[in-house]
Amino acid sequence: MSVTAEKKFVVELVYNGVTKPLQVEPEEQVSALLQKAIAVFGITQQPHLLSLFRQDGSVVLENESIERAGIKPGEILLLRPNAVKGGSGLLRLAKGIVPTTFRTLRECGRGECECAAYWTGPAAENLVDGIEHPIHTRSPFGYQVDDNWLTEFWRRLAASKRSVKVQIHTHPGHAFHSAIDDEWPIVSQVGFVSIVIPEFAAGEPSLERAWVGYLQEDGKWRRLTSAVEAVIPA
Amino acid sequence: MAAPDICSRSRYSSMTALEELNRTTLLCRDYVAEGLSDIEIGHSFRSLRVLCVSDLQNLSSHSGQTALVTLVSLLSRMGIQVGLAVPDVAMLFPQPPLSGSSLRSALIASSEIFVTGATVRCDSDCNPDLIFVLGDSKIDTGQANSWRLSGSDWYGALKMEESVKTKAWTAEWPIGSMVSAAMAANEAFKFVMRRLPLRDPADSIFFEPSPSCSWNFGSLPIRSQDVDLGEVDLISAGAISQAALYALMRLPKVFMWGRIFDDDVTGRSNLNRNMLTLVSDVGLKKVLVVAQRCGTKLRLEPVPNRFTHRPSNPRTLAPRVLVGVDDIPSRWQVQRSAPGWLAVGGTSHFSVSSSAHLPDEPCCGCLHPVDDPAGANPIPTVSFVSFWAGLAMAVRLVREALAIPYSRNQQHLWLTPLRMDLPHAGMWSPVASRQDCPVPCFSSTASCSKR
Repeated sequence: MSVTAEKKFVVELVYNGVTKPLQVEPEEQVSALLQKAIAVFGITQQPHLLSLFRQDGSVVLENESIERAGIKPGEILLLRPNAVKGGSGLLRLAKGIVPTTFRTLRECGRGECECAAYWTGPAAENLVDGIEHPIHTRSPFGYQVDDNWLTEFWRRLAASKRSVKVQIHTHPGHAFHSAIDDEWPIVSQVGFVSIVIPEFAAGEPSLERAWVGYLQEDGKWRRLTSAVEAVIPA
Repeated sequence: MAAPDICSRSRYSSMTALEELNRTTLLCRDYVAEGLSDIEIGHSFRSLRVLCVSDLQNLSSHSGQTALVTLVSLLSRMGIQVGLAVPDVAMLFPQPPLSGSSLRSALIASSEIFVTGATVRCDSDCNPDLIFVLGDSKIDTGQANSWRLSGSDWYGALKMEESVKTKAWTAEWPIGSMVSAAMAANEAFKFVMRRLPLRDPADSIFFEPSPSCSWNFGSLPIRSQDVDLGEVDLISAGAISQAALYALMRLPKVFMWGRIFDDDVTGRSNLNRNMLTLVSDVGLKKVLVVAQRCGTKLRLEPVPNRFTHRPSNPRTLAPRVLVGVDDIPSRWQVQRSAPGWLAVGGTSHFSVSSSAHLPDEPCCGCLHPVDDPAGANPIPTVSFVSFWAGLAMAVRLVREALAIPYSRNQQHLWLTPLRMDLPHAGMWSPVASRQDCPVPCFSSTASCSKR
């Protein structure tokens, strides 16, 4: 006769000061627990901003199992807002990304045409570790990415479980987000970051003079006061 | 106490009150049924009658007086009608933004100065919906729902009438009295919510009355000599900063000086929570209003601009900084510019976040690592939630100045004051250092280099 060990256990969830028990299984994903918690409390106000926190103040990572996250029976988990999810976590830039991007934009634009690049990274992480330079038409006033290249690019990303983290392009004069930039980002997801480099990227390879912003829930772009509010060195 | 005759008032006045209660209404919409109009929600608050009762003994201490003033202010800022059954006593310490030397007269003069239509009257025969009683003051039992406010220097409690025997207010320091007033205001808010239909009946758990609740910020010995908080800069002259200053101004023998930064002008929608602001201040720069109300006890230079971090001159702030600004990237900027101790107070719907950060500790970027795009929208708030955030920040500042700060395990407080009778209403925790800290702070870079 085989014996099946009972692996389910109960954790205590706290929201708005009220505690409710919830049964979980070690193999269950934390993201599933989070969704259950949101359902148990009937939260409809911006549930995507909520995360689970341990009593030591650390956030419980959602892409792990309950067992791997170290959640113990009877543990008290606080459900509270953390951050914008859906891709707008602070991005960590692998070494060399900024200078390589500037070199690419400069060599392609030759000081007279706009150029674009995409920063990519593992889909499950807020890490930028790759640059894609699309096939595109170019002029001093804009660029247009080749449709076939774009289709193939999406296929490659899906196959390698990677995603586009940031779109980056140059302008002839000062950096700003034009109406076309506003309307046609490569990714229309809340939190997606766009960077515009002034003077065809002829200056120092730095984001200090760049326009940096992200897409808000209302579909408008919000400019950040500094690039470090979106990206930091890894 | 007569109910306000809304019909006889001008339509303009009624609409003004709705505008002033706009953020409170917005917060109620987290839970009330779809289809309720702002007028219906606003009317539920404006039609509530609350009686505040005290005898002479309980108003003979600064803590008792502060409990009453704070409670009346928090109730009025929800649009509630307040009746007073209190003796007239001399004000022991100033109670800004009230003025005058007589406590009862000053409170009656506060009628409609916090929120349009929120009256304060001397009227014990008013058929109240709720009664709040200070300390051991006697009342006729069996009238309405009643609670007693009690406490000490740092501890506040609220108990339903039938459940207790309480002591008179005698404390010299009024932190506990402001705690009990905030808990009482919460009960009035929940009473209104219980009269409104909810979207999901299961949510009624958040608005059940608390038969008995208390909160202790941690007792410290009260010093007989002056407490100099030193040079302190405040970032924002909004609700949380105003609540902190409101609390600090009521602490005997406590002084400070510094600057207050904010480029905003007082709007009607600020009146529901800005504790130092009056209806007559609408249109005035917030920093000017606050600096004037703080007087010489807390000498603040008004700076009518946003604080800007300058990378070329990064350490431009005072050794102690209070941050009450909602915008998360602005908090990061301030953290980068802060040379020493920094405290942050914030609210999110019904919850309060309070933290303090020394240069070698995980910073406010570790605690609030990502911007909240909803922060740009009108923020749903109510008087007592913002007040808790400011009060907690004021306590942190005093403890820091007394060199008795909270331990690392209490670096962050997440407090939801709806059900203060439940064990997890307030949760203290350390702040965990984050590798992706947006500031980035010393603690986060040190933890990275260790990996």
